[in-house]
Amino acid sequence: MITQMHLKGLMFDPYNNAYIVVLRDEDGSEMLPIWVGKTEAGAISMALENVAAPRPMTHDFMKAILDAYDAKVISVVITDLNENTYYAKIHLTYEDSEYTVDARPSDAIALALRANAPVFARESVLNKQSSEELEQWLENLKPEDFGKLDS
Amino acid sequence: MTTMDNAGQAHSAQDQALVEYKVDRVVDETSTDTKIVVLARQDGRPDSFPIWVGAAEGHAIKLALDTTVTPRPMSHDLIKSFTEHLGVTVRRVVISDVKNSTYYATVYLENHGVERTVDARPSDAMSLALRTHAPIYITQDVLGRRSTANLDSWLAKLDSKSVNQQEVRES
Repeated sequence: MITQMHLKGLMFDPYNNAYIVVLRDEDGSEMLPIWVGKTEAGAISMALENVAAPRPMTHDFMKAILDAYDAKVISVVITDLNENTYYAKIHLTYEDSEYTVDARPSDAIALALRANAPVFARESVLNKQSSEELEQWLENLKPEDFGKLDS
Repeated sequence: MTTMDNAGQAHSAQDQALVEYKVDRVVDETSTDTKIVVLARQDGRPDSFPIWVGAAEGHAIKLALDTTVTPRPMSHDLIKSFTEHLGVTVRRVVISDVKNSTYYATVYLENHGVERTVDARPSDAMSLALRTHAPIYITQDVLGRRSTANLDSWLAKLDSKSVNQQEVRES
């Protein structure tokens, strides 16, 4: 079983000096936080805000290569999250064939946003990474930490 | 030397002549959040070519240069994986233009005899070239138009750094 997820936002996590990509399902009952590095967060943020960089950024280049051969990103699935190792699959179609490519969720999401492709999460990932963890983390967050979101 | 026929028609054939380079090393520029990718001529002649890139971009190149295996595929590993799945070969990467101190690269791809070119930043182009073992070229035009003033001051700085063996230090 997979659930479609929507990108709720990007937050700065001052405790881990990292960013959290927050995915949420349609009715808001499931929340999936994914910790990513600064560069990865930047790639997602640019697509989220529709910022056109003067030069193609890495994921723009990635998409341009797929576009050059009319390969289409059909969907992205977050398949597993372990402590430091996150897994995603990118589903592509090219010349009537379907391909599945292993990726980090950060790359998969950055590409999905540029390709207007849906992002899904496996049930097992949602069960494993319960939103309790995120809620607990949010409770501990001081109000001033939110000010860093846009930086 | 190959002459390109489909890029920059305004330039003469001489300007479009390609010189093959290789990534020699990635140098930390500790004062700013950048790294310097030093390209050296493939034929060994002493004419190195530095390109300033962002820290993350430099890191991606350094990983490929050192053939470091990461637990999960990095962004350019994913691009390589896409080309492998689609049967696309990265034929070559050309640093093809410089405007306002910004270098432009063109990535030449081929699949079933169909050649496509994709515009890229040199950092992405080099990161992919290193991972796919594609040759890297610089056009004679770009080589001729680089700012030697910058280069001289940079080389002087590099020489003083080399004495302390700091230039190759990588975070």
